[in-house]
Formats: sequence, structure tokens, C-alpha cells
Amino acid sequence: MREQRKASRLVTWFYRLFVNPGKEIDALGEDQITSPGKQMLKSYLHNKIAMTGTIIFLLTLLLVLVGPYFFPIDLSYNDVTQMNVTPGMDMMKVPSSIVGNIREIEPGNTFGFGLTEDGRIYCWGKTKVTNTIDLRDIPEEVQNASIAHIAVGSDHVIAVDGSGKLYAWGNGRLKQLDVPRSAQGRTVKQLDAGMQYSALLDENGELVLWGNENATDCKVKKAFQGQISQIACADTAYIALLKDGSVAYTGFSINNVLADIPEGLDTGVVQVAATATTAAALKADGTVVVWGNAAKGENRVPETGSRIVRLYGGRYHYTAQLEDGGVICWGDNTHGQSTVPAAVTTNADIRYMTSGCYQNYVITSDNKLITWGLKGYLCGTDEMGRDVLTRLINGGRITMTVGAVSVVISLFIGVILGCCAGYFGGVTDMVVMRLSEVVNSLPFLPLAMILSSVLGSRVSQEGKIYLIMVIQGFLYWTTSCRLVRAQVLQARENEYVVAARAMGEKESSIMFKQILPNILSQLLVTATLSFASCMLTESSLSYLGFGVVAPTPTWGNMLKGANNSIVIQQFWWRWVFPAVVFGLCTICINLMGDGMRDAVDPKALER
Amino acid sequence: MIKYVFKRLLYMVIVFFLISFLVYCLFGLVPNDPAALEVEPLRDQLDPIAFEQVYQEARARMGLDDPLGIRYLRWLGLYPDVDSSVPSGVLQGNLGWSNIFKQDIIDVIRDPMKNTVRLNLMSTLITLMITIPIGILAAVKKNTAFDQSVQVVTIVGHSLPVYIIGLVCIYIFSVKLRWLPVGGMKTAGENLTGIAEMLDRAWHYILPLIVVVAANLGSMTRYVRAAMIDVLSMDYIRTARAKGLREKVVIYSHAWRNALLPVITQIISWFLKLFSGSVVVENTFSFNGMGALNVYALNSLDYELAMAIQLFFTMVSLLGLLLCDLAYGIVDPRVRVNK
Repeated sequence: MREQRKASRLVTWFYRLFVNPGKEIDALGEDQITSPGKQMLKSYLHNKIAMTGTIIFLLTLLLVLVGPYFFPIDLSYNDVTQMNVTPGMDMMKVPSSIVGNIREIEPGNTFGFGLTEDGRIYCWGKTKVTNTIDLRDIPEEVQNASIAHIAVGSDHVIAVDGSGKLYAWGNGRLKQLDVPRSAQGRTVKQLDAGMQYSALLDENGELVLWGNENATDCKVKKAFQGQISQIACADTAYIALLKDGSVAYTGFSINNVLADIPEGLDTGVVQVAATATTAAALKADGTVVVWGNAAKGENRVPETGSRIVRLYGGRYHYTAQLEDGGVICWGDNTHGQSTVPAAVTTNADIRYMTSGCYQNYVITSDNKLITWGLKGYLCGTDEMGRDVLTRLINGGRITMTVGAVSVVISLFIGVILGCCAGYFGGVTDMVVMRLSEVVNSLPFLPLAMILSSVLGSRVSQEGKIYLIMVIQGFLYWTTSCRLVRAQVLQARENEYVVAARAMGEKESSIMFKQILPNILSQLLVTATLSFASCMLTESSLSYLGFGVVAPTPTWGNMLKGANNSIVIQQFWWRWVFPAVVFGLCTICINLMGDGMRDAVDPKALER
Repeated sequence: MIKYVFKRLLYMVIVFFLISFLVYCLFGLVPNDPAALEVEPLRDQLDPIAFEQVYQEARARMGLDDPLGIRYLRWLGLYPDVDSSVPSGVLQGNLGWSNIFKQDIIDVIRDPMKNTVRLNLMSTLITLMITIPIGILAAVKKNTAFDQSVQVVTIVGHSLPVYIIGLVCIYIFSVKLRWLPVGGMKTAGENLTGIAEMLDRAWHYILPLIVVVAANLGSMTRYVRAAMIDVLSMDYIRTARAKGLREKVVIYSHAWRNALLPVITQIISWFLKLFSGSVVVENTFSFNGMGALNVYALNSLDYELAMAIQLFFTMVSLLGLLLCDLAYGIVDPRVRVNK
């Protein structure tokens, strides 16, 4: 009872705020005559189910209208390393217990591995790399060993203990785990891994590589053995820093973009780093030279007041530590991986930092962990590595726009034809009504598919969206036409129309200025209900592949391709989120429509 | 009554010609030149002038240069073919040649047609069998807990897209419980005959049937309920009750028969929606039906096949309209007199 009173008080406030401000409603006031419009609004506002629907719908509408500004969509985006990632925001969630004694952090595509000072391995994030392989399943012998170094590829992990014994686990389908015997038992200087290969550099400057030899240039020329002091692994190739301070491409492939080392790197280089497709060399004077396929701005090294002393490569970005203790980033910023938090831009007291893939980790001297970059995806990603949430928000905007414009078109046609049919009667009426009967008896979905398929081949991607709107508008006008006609037929005989006619008003003016306003409320009901059905039809068409086509997202085509048992079972987030949001939205619109109908037609309330 | 039936039939025929002509024109828009396709292999063997001549001959043989109207009538089978004086078109059972199946279209669509009709008739029957009692009961028990829960369930069923219901059903029944197959028409790799084959097929029909029925329960129940409520508030129902008739008689004999009228009108549009809506269901379950075939034909640009399928859907909708008109005529005597 109290709940109810509370709710009705809320409604009263809302009512006073927007509808009838400054007017106290008392016992006498209740009896005052209210206009039909106000009466309708009032009974609508008191309909709890309809109001719930309205509020949820308005929230969804707000989300899809405002959301795209916060979650802008890049239609050409596609990233194999982020395919089918489970929902969650824990990709950089280092267990707080180990922050104090971390020796090494190795960022992976969607996960991270940490090595503590006492040689224990910890991991966090989305470690499931295939259906059956989970990197979290660290082999028992590794857990018992005291690990000295660790490195991660895209789907495998290698670790080496103090005695130089190597361990590898994860996906071994492409020979990532086939550690050669010659690699065992060395004093390890650097352990590193690219996408599908691993590299081990020992104190003598000798390099051992293994992994997918078909896709990767993971071999080393004999002439360089013993001279290498550091390496940097890109996705499919690596570069080496030699002991004499020069940079060399020590692999065999001459076509690789990294093999084309720029001038001036034959001396004075102190460190090398690599992103997926580029490599960078840091010279002793603090200058950075980037080469390779720098499509995402990796070569735009920013001007700094201080000297760069250390360089880290992410997947498409570089992070650099400055002499004054600050950190700068440049390159791709899709996941915020180049947005350095204010806490570390200057004078940060950094104990340990690293950067890789889309993640950056900094641990300060007082053991505070600061991370930036890709935390995870709230709704997971799809088969192209695109964020489901972003697509959901942007897709909703398109679905709703298509629905709304279709309704407007259908209303426009329906109202004009219905008015003419009702007002003029006779032959006009017959022709319009027969036409609407024919259109109504057309098998809708097959026809829309044919129209979209035949006409769609001649228009662009964007044109197809407009095409769907027009097709729906032209096939949906019959409902509003019949409604308007019936209402006009009724209204034609009313006194006010007779009066208007007697005063010599023009026919068109009587029709649109006198009669139409009287049936607006009913039209609104029809429009709301057909808005839901237009959205449904658009989504069905898109689901079948005849509506809006990918990469432009809509709620319908996000569910396209979800109808196989693998997706349904394993990648549930790809269909559950769009289905829930879309279902909720259409249910709310229908609830609104029902509520409006009850408000407009008080007789219906008795039902 | 005969005059009424005749009138409706004539109307159907006119509408059929209108729609089929519309569809034919639509496909005429597709840049498609069968004559060029046929003579293309000869291009290298002949000099340009001879090639042009062969090409023009092929065009003339196929009648491509005739006006649109004549080509349409020829396709329909009301105008003699170019090479023979006998018409051979849709009305003679020649639907054309399917390019992807390399078969006569009539043979291609035979099985899918059977499946689609079977699926939809069954789901119609089941839906009506479920919705009519529920709708009546909800109307009689208006504003009770039962009615309200029916209202909520129906609005949900009415608002959800078919394929979402399909996905959820697959998830529950096929993936989690493993009771029913994910899709398809028969168990792959097994060669069943006789009763075993029939049972296997029925097993594959269950899930699509459930989904179609679930998707259509909502709207139909709402129609039945609304119509019944309208009727139940009439004076003659009060009279019948005052007379002391049993409640059963009042509801089923007096009220329901009158409520049937608006319900039948709704069944028309609902039946049409059902058939074209099964396109989505058939695709979700890879069901070998007309809808799935339609998608396949359009995707592989076999427009002649798509045209035949469109014709099928048109015929079904017109047939549905006619049936409903006739039912209307039988149930409501006024219709016969007025028209």
C-alpha cells in the first residue's frame, strides 16, 4: 500500500512538473473539466505497466542516441587477437597480493602473466585461448619449480627456471611448444615470444628460436651467433641488437618490412623494441627510430622535454620511460593504451614497468600498481574481435532509425491516402481500399527480400539502409490508411466539419486542419505499434542477410551467424546481449502502445 | 452464396495477375541476359559480325526483344512460345530452369514445398488449438491472476522476434538438454526407411514447430481474448444468462460463435504472416523449406527460382484470403447478402 502511494506521488510530481505546473490539485480541482489530451496523458501516466515500459524504452533510446558519442564505431576494425573474448573487465587485474614482490609481468593479448621474486607464476584475464586449452592450467612441474624468466605468445607460454630448464604450455598446434634440446640448460639473458614463436638469448649472445616456421621468420643466421645482446619480437619476425651497438635483421627473410633497417642504426643503439608490425631502436642520445609497417601511427614519436631512457613495444603502440621519471605513449589508442594516466606522466617513482599488446603496467616504489589500456570487454567480442557493446549501441541507433523513418514514411502515405479515401469517398475510396487490400495480401517478408536483393545490388552500403526504410514504408502504410479512413468517415458527418464547410474553408484545409488533429492520438498508437513491428521486420531481414549488411551493425545482423550450435553454446555473449536488449526494447514499445491505446480509448479500460 | 464465391474468385484472379506482373517486372530489373550467356562460348570462334548475328538469333529465339507484356504472358503460359505455337509457361506447369540446381524448377521445389506446407499447416492447427481455449478462458476470467499472466506472456511472445525464440529454444532443448536436433531434416549418415524414417523426420519437425507456435501464440491469443470480451459485454449474453442457460452454453454457443467473426478476419492476416514468417524459422533450423530455398536462390542469384518461390507465396496468401472469405461467408450470412 505504501509502495503504491509512493509511486502515485511520483506520478503527481511528474504531472505537476511538466503538464500542469503551479496548480495544486485538491478535491475541487479534481472535478474540474480537463481537456481530452490532458485526460489521456493523466491516465497514461497512471498506468504502471505502460510507464515502466516507457521508462525502460527511454533509457534504451538515450543509450543508443548518446552512446555512439562515447563508444564511436570503426566499421573497418577487425583484430584476430581479440576474437570471441568472454565478457569481463579483468584483463589487467593483477592479484593484489603479489604486487609487492613482482619480478616480471608478461602482458598477453587478453591476459597477463606475473612472476614473483620467489619464482611463482600467477595469471589473470581471459586465459582460455581455444575451446579446450586454457593457459591458466599451469603444469604441475612449473608450479613446483623456481622460475627465473617467463614469456608469452598469443596462445602459448614459456618459462625457464634457475637451472636453465625450459617449460612450455598452451597451444602447440603450430610447434610453439617444441622446445629444441639445444635450448635447454643455458644461462638465460632474455626470454621472449612473438605470436607463434619463442626466442631464447643466452649470456654468450647465442640465440635459439622455435615455433611456427611457415608463418614466421624464426631462424637466425650463423654469422650473428654470439654477437647478439638483445632481441625484440614482432608478430612474425624479430630484430636483434648486436654487441657493437648496431641493429641487425638476423633472420633469413629479405622481404620482411623489418629487414629494411634505416640508415644510422649501425652504432650507438642501446635498446630495441617491437610492436606487431614495426620495430624501434633507441639510441644513446634518446632519439627513437621506428621502421616497418607503421599504419597506426607508431612512427609518430612525440617531442619530449626529457630524454627517453627505455622503450617498450605494445601491439600497435610504444611506451617510453623518460629520464625525469615520466612515461609517454604513442601509436594506436583504440583501447586507451596510449592514454597515460596523470599519475605517471611526470616524476613517477617507477620500480617496474612493462608494456605489451594493449596493456601497460607500472609499479611504483611504494608498490602501487597503475595500469592503462585494454581492461576487457563488458559484453565480450565477436568473431572479428569487435566489441559487442559498441556494436550493440551503434546497432541500436541504426535499428531504431530505420524503424522510425519507416514508420514516418508509412504514416505519410497512409494518412494522405486514408484522408483522401475517407473524405472523397466513391471511386477514390474504392481504388485506395483495393490497393491497400492488395498490398496487405502480399507475402511481406519474401517480397521485401526480393526487393532488397534486386534493388540492393545497385546501391551502396549506406543506400541499402535507406532502401530498407523505403521498402518498409511502402509495405506498411495500410494499417494507418485504414484507421484514418474509418476515422475520417466518422468525423466527416460531425457538426464542426459541416460548420467549417459552411464557412467556405478549403477541402484540404478541412481535412488536415480540422479532422486530422482529432485523430492524432489514435495515429500515435498505431505509429508506436508499427514502430515495433518495423524494427522486428528490419531485424528479421538483416538476420537473413537481406537488410543492413555487416560491417554496419544492427540488432538483427548481430544475430546473423549465431544460429549454429557452436556459437550458441560457446560464445553465448554474442547472441544473448543483442537478443535481450532487442527483446526488451520491443516489449517495452508494445507495452507503451497498449498503454496509449487504453488511454486514448477509455472504453478499453473496462476490459 | 455462389455469386459471392464467384465474385471473390474473380477478385483473386485479378490480384494474382497484378502481383505476378509486379514480381515479373521486378525481376526484369535485374541485369540478366540469357542470350548473351548462351552464345558467350562462341565469341572466340566467330568473327564479330557472325557472332552478332548468332546473338541476335538467340535473342529472337528466346523472345527477349518482345514487349514486356508479351514476355510476361509467355512466362505465365498464356501466349504461345516463339518456336512452337503452343504456350508453355507457369500455367502449364513449366516454372523454368534452375541455374544452380541444373534441374527443372518444378522438381527443385517439390520437396521444400511439401515441407513448408506441412510445417505451417501443423503449426496453424496447433496454435489455434492452444490459443482459442486460452483466449476464451482469459476473457471469461477477465482481470484474474490467470488473465494477467496470459496478458504478460502474450505480449512477450508477440514482441520477441522469431529467431530469438528459435535461438533460445535451440540453446535449451538442443544444446543444454540434448533432447532435440539443432536443425536439418534428418539424422545425417543414417539410412532409415519406413516407420523409422518417419519418426526421425517427426523428431526434426518438433523444434521448428515449437518455435513457430510459440511465436504466434501471443498475437492470436490477444485477438481471441479481445473479441470474446467485446461479445461478453453484449446484452444478449446477459439475456442468455438471465434465461438460466448453463454457463458453458452461454460461452461456447452464444458468445464464441459471435466472437468468431472478428477472429476470422484476424486469422487472414495472421495466416499470411505465418507463411512468410516461416522464412526465418526455416533458416534458423536449416529446414529444407521454401523460405530457406528462397534465401538460397536469392543469394546465389538464381532469379528464375526466386520468382517461382515468390509465386508460391503469393498463391498461398491468395488461397488463404479466399478460404477466409469463404469461411466468413459461411459464418456471417450478412456478407453474402451485402456483396
